[in-house]
Amino acid sequence: MLPNPYLPIFALGLLAFLFACVSVTLATLVGPKRYNRAKLDAYECGIDPTPQPIGGGHFTIKYYLTAMLFIVFDIEIVFLYPWAVSFEALGLFAVIEVILFIVTVLCVYAFVWRRGGLEWD
Amino acid sequence: MSTTHYLVLSAILFSLGVLGVLVRRNAIIVFMCVEMMLNASNLAFVAFAQQNGNLNGQTIAFFVMVVAAAEVVVGLAIIMTIYRTRRSASVDEPNLLKY
Amino acid sequence: MNSLLAAGTSPEFALPSIEYRLISPILLVLGMAVISVLVEAFVPRAHRRVVQLVLTFSTLIVALILVVMLAGQRAVTAAGSLAVDGPALFMQGTLLVLALMAALLVAERGVDPAGDAFAARANALPGSIDEREFTKRGWLTTEVWCLFLFSVGGMMLFVTGTDLLILFVALEIMSLPLYLLAGIARRRRLLSQEAAMKYFLLGAFSSGFFLYGSALLYGFAGTVDLGGIADAITANAGQNGLLIAGTALIAVGLFFKVAAVPFHQWAPDVYQGSPTAITAFMASCVKVAAFGAMLRIMYVALGGVRWDWRPMFWVIAILTMFVGSIIALTQTDVKRMLAYSSVAHAGFLLIAVVATNEEGLAGAMFYLLAYGVATIGGFGVITLVRDSTGEATHLSSWAGLGKRSPWVAGAFAVFLLSFAGIPLTAGFIGKFAVFEAGVAGGAGWLVVAAVLASAIAVFFYGRVIVILLFSVPAADGPTVVVPSSFTAFAIAAGLSLTVVLGIIPQPFLDLAEKASIFVR
Repeated sequence: MLPNPYLPIFALGLLAFLFACVSVTLATLVGPKRYNRAKLDAYECGIDPTPQPIGGGHFTIKYYLTAMLFIVFDIEIVFLYPWAVSFEALGLFAVIEVILFIVTVLCVYAFVWRRGGLEWD
Repeated sequence: MSTTHYLVLSAILFSLGVLGVLVRRNAIIVFMCVEMMLNASNLAFVAFAQQNGNLNGQTIAFFVMVVAAAEVVVGLAIIMTIYRTRRSASVDEPNLLKY
Repeated sequence: MNSLLAAGTSPEFALPSIEYRLISPILLVLGMAVISVLVEAFVPRAHRRVVQLVLTFSTLIVALILVVMLAGQRAVTAAGSLAVDGPALFMQGTLLVLALMAALLVAERGVDPAGDAFAARANALPGSIDEREFTKRGWLTTEVWCLFLFSVGGMMLFVTGTDLLILFVALEIMSLPLYLLAGIARRRRLLSQEAAMKYFLLGAFSSGFFLYGSALLYGFAGTVDLGGIADAITANAGQNGLLIAGTALIAVGLFFKVAAVPFHQWAPDVYQGSPTAITAFMASCVKVAAFGAMLRIMYVALGGVRWDWRPMFWVIAILTMFVGSIIALTQTDVKRMLAYSSVAHAGFLLIAVVATNEEGLAGAMFYLLAYGVATIGGFGVITLVRDSTGEATHLSSWAGLGKRSPWVAGAFAVFLLSFAGIPLTAGFIGKFAVFEAGVAGGAGWLVVAAVLASAIAVFFYGRVIVILLFSVPAADGPTVVVPSSFTAFAIAAGLSLTVVLGIIPQPFLDLAEKASIFVR
């Protein structure tokens, strides 16, 4: 009788779970503990953490600006993906369309850049 | 699963969105409910595309996603401006426009 | 290169045929809107206003010329998603004329001592030190012009699209810039921001309805093409849940946009809070565009089930006419009063939709033109009557304006007479044409109700005219500012078009009649 085809996947998942548990437990038990200021800071990709408002709670308005710009430029990719997977079939017409589309997005990008939308301060 | 299941789900999502817009008082939540209405439409479009056997519905879903993103940006900009002036995002509190 | 392309081209992909000449007005306006974004990016602040003005006005004028040159075309292009036909071209022309007049109001900077009608920087907190600093430096929000052009482009697309997806996208291109424009008034920023939020939330809500309705119609017909939906209706006679629900939801979305009762609550707030020039633009142009799309959807796609949607439109039309006219009576703010009057006008226009005949289409197109020019003129007058805090919109401060500035008060009276539908004004001809079409389309009782509602409307417009011309002026009343030639020209254009359309309407009626067949 054949074993269940999903068995290897379950086995791998179990292995991964055990490995995670064991390594975390081992690290807390046997690892050296030397705390300093940098280790207690919030981790922001190695940059000094961005100051938070006094009293905590809300994010500064800058995050929202960045987030909004990210959303609008990020979602434009949705049109490039279908073209990219089948651009050979779509031919020159689609290439021109996509170039026009990118140029339009670039115009807006130029506006954001020139008017300081990309500056953090 | 037949198309009906998807349609029922999409109708439930749409109704929840409408209900949320009507009863919730926080502009951000109201706005999220509007987005839910758009996504319910997307689900219906994709389900119908499956049923009709043409790709139109899926293409439309792409366009709706992009339009919804543009709407998010405009909406967040307006709500943030109001929030900065008034320190509140309640749709009831800004009520200067009453006669 | 060619062989490579030929080899790569799959036979399944048919190149969409696009006749660029037919859609050149729309392409021009939208293209120039993008250029105008580049102007914002690269032209120094001191020159932006001039460059933007030249760009906007030349774009609108050239687009209008292109539309006139296309007159008589009847074709469906862009892979069956745009119908360049009589109604589309007539309404594109109307939109461009109205947009030109509204642009004149937006360009005005002679009436406010601090500059134009828009905040120096939209992101500065009202009343903050930043804001005072920006105002002192004389900064202007010239982004207004990009948003304006995008919105006009969206409207032109909205009356041309013959595919529910295009209509949805056009609806958003038209609306998103307007939400922003509503929120950046220089004076009374809080009111303006509140108006923007209300407009945005309810506008987005209504486009959600429109989209879900489109989804259901797509499920019914298997296509979003309006002609395809009509064919599907012919093929499957009888009731269909998807079809009925889809029709109702699409109608609700459009009712929001044209501010029909009970979906009108946003209109007074938004009209009052927005900068008056923008109110003029949205009151006139959005109504034209939304009715253009509504007529096309209801006539072309859903004409086959008109017996199902007509009762709903009857009820909405009657409610809209009466509620609009009666609540307008109780208003004390001039802008709110015009908002309710515009609600009532939406009701009269719905008669043309109910009529579902060529006369109805022609009548609606004429009505929209007449209503649009008077609306822009009326709001143009409102920008001139000011006191120390900005525009004085309370009706009591308008009392006896005719004694102090007979010209301005006289112009406003003419616009009100046109709204009321008094003979020798454009409004009368428009109402007459629509009522006639209603009777021909078998909606006689609806027309009777409309005549009653008109009588109420005449009463309330008359009341305002009496206050304006015959009452005693208030001691500390507002002053009437002498505008620069921008506003003066816009009001004069509105006035002369209102009178010309009222006295010699025949050429315009003929034109509307000739243009009153949808292609599909």
